[in-house]
Amino acid sequence: MPELRKDPIIGRWVIISTERAKRPHDFKTVQSGPVEGECPFCEGREDHTPEEIFAIRKEGSSPNKPGWKVRVVPSIAPFLRLDAELWRKGIGLYDLIGARGSHEVVVETPQHIANMCDLEVSQIEDILTAYVERINFLSRDDKIKYVLIFKNYGWEAGGGRVKHARSQIIATPVNLKRVKEELEGSKRYYDYHERCIFCDIIREELDLGERVILDKDGILAIAPFAPRFPFEVWIFPKKHSPDFYKLTPEEKKNLASVLKEILLRIKNLLNDPPYNYVIHTAPFRREHRGYWTTIEEDYHWHIEIIPRLTRVAGFEWGTGFYICPTPPEEAAKYLRGDK
Amino acid sequence: MPELRRDPITGRWVIVNIESPLYPSDFHIEPHKWKGEEGCPFCYGNENLTPPEIEAIRLDGGKPNTPGWKVRVVPNKYPALRIEGDLNKRGLRLYDMSNGIGAHEVIIDSPYHYKGLDELEDEEVQFLIKAYRSRSQDLVKDRRFKYILIFKNVGLSAGASLEHGHSQLIALPMVPKNVSEEIRGSTRYISYHERCIFCDIISQELTNDRERIITENEKFIALSPLSARFSFETWILPKEHRTQFMDIKDEEIPYLAKILKEVIFKIRRVLFSPPYNYIIHTSPVNSEEPLGYHWHIEIMPKLSRTAGFEWGSGFYVVGTPPEVAAKFLKGEM
Repeated sequence: MPELRKDPIIGRWVIISTERAKRPHDFKTVQSGPVEGECPFCEGREDHTPEEIFAIRKEGSSPNKPGWKVRVVPSIAPFLRLDAELWRKGIGLYDLIGARGSHEVVVETPQHIANMCDLEVSQIEDILTAYVERINFLSRDDKIKYVLIFKNYGWEAGGGRVKHARSQIIATPVNLKRVKEELEGSKRYYDYHERCIFCDIIREELDLGERVILDKDGILAIAPFAPRFPFEVWIFPKKHSPDFYKLTPEEKKNLASVLKEILLRIKNLLNDPPYNYVIHTAPFRREHRGYWTTIEEDYHWHIEIIPRLTRVAGFEWGTGFYICPTPPEEAAKYLRGDK
Repeated sequence: MPELRRDPITGRWVIVNIESPLYPSDFHIEPHKWKGEEGCPFCYGNENLTPPEIEAIRLDGGKPNTPGWKVRVVPNKYPALRIEGDLNKRGLRLYDMSNGIGAHEVIIDSPYHYKGLDELEDEEVQFLIKAYRSRSQDLVKDRRFKYILIFKNVGLSAGASLEHGHSQLIALPMVPKNVSEEIRGSTRYISYHERCIFCDIISQELTNDRERIITENEKFIALSPLSARFSFETWILPKEHRTQFMDIKDEEIPYLAKILKEVIFKIRRVLFSPPYNYIIHTSPVNSEEPLGYHWHIEIMPKLSRTAGFEWGSGFYVVGTPPEVAAKFLKGEM
């Protein structure tokens, strides 16, 4: 009997097919080979990108020259800009606002390596440092409400044609719908239980164990109870914290190591599939309509990783109701290495 | 400078690239080789390759599960949900769940393997709409069902697994999230304005130099919505306020068939037969009628790959502004 499961945070239902459960080899990923031309992201070709806005560099190297470890540059086609006016207007019943914000690219390595999981842990730590520094910087613009950090790896996951590891940072002047849903769900739970729902999920999953993938140095990776996609993975800090960018150096190191391990297992298990990851963190605390004060206690940052194995069809788009062909308990078994 | 636009119904923001819009030739659509008619379970003579039919339209009174049908409805061979059993809603410690009860049917649009919906005769599209209606009217009698979703996937990257034109119907035991958001938004609007937001959108679009209107007839209108999530997204709405698709009247069906055919034709002509999805957005069943809701069809050509940003944010980046899309679809560009 297939099951319907409700995501306890935002209340989204998913269908889990238990009988015709798909196994890793049921998903074929076609490596469509976009041209690998001269890579603008490799060391020595810094003049092929806009000027850098942040970099972690070896001592003595100068901006926009070789000698960097991680480099952040503006997107060449930004759809949000820090210098844009944040105007608001209504046309009849429609609302419009100016596209204030930022759209940045994090070049994760000076070498031409495509998948983050093939980088050293210390290199991933530097990437996380770049994320944290950029969020800190963007938080100073009081028109920015949210900073979204994500990665598109592989063509089918929306990645570019150039196979050089990078992630993206988008700062927006509005709260994002999915983020809002999650925040509202967490608040609703907190209002009643006076506990963080993520902390409860962590306790619950550790207690049950069947969906735990990796539990190491204060970082937990699980297959969520009601995933939207097969082999979806969530990574949490076990210690409660609403803000990703406030992570300690110790946590950063541990997160880098778990992230590498999980991405490596996904690569090996699923034949180097395209994937996305998104860092879910609390918005900046700014006084505004609908602002609430329990966010410190009710929200818990985490990373969601989605291997792109299935095509999202009309049904999912139309309903926000996902059909997940691999139960998370099965996915966890594979990702733990039990199978 | 690009613009952010808010969907007045759900409150969803989208980014619209108004400076350098993507044109049809900017979209790279991967070609795919299908196997053709041989062994196609939806072609005449292969009726035994599907589960026994639930319903079919046969003008000559032929026998079930034999050729001669115009539209044929069969259970999905690999159903996402099952019709037998109890919902058995339950809590599993922290989590909520229920059995996957529902109906999952396939509606074979026509006997023709290669014909797109726009290549069918008017009358054949009318049969298809009648089949949608009659399946809905039948399934609504099952009180366990709260929503009847009818949709179509065309092309591999839009999720179709077979080439022969077909639609799907899924009866769900709960109202899906996107629908309840749309209903919440339209209920908020009607309780303040005492008007339907969709009716207001139609009248605003008709007066606004019609730049987003693609086509219309006596009963229906097709437009590019102001805050489209996807390039060339198109909506078809009944001009009169109607909450429930399955209440469509016999005399309205020819008008819907005509506009649906016309819009699909335009999309296929302008975008070189892209993969696409359409979904009938209608009111829930076996529950209170949402008075401010207005049923409609949303058609989404599948032109771009959704990436981490869209997934993480529910915020869409639209390459082609709807005004530009409408111009192309109208044949003005």
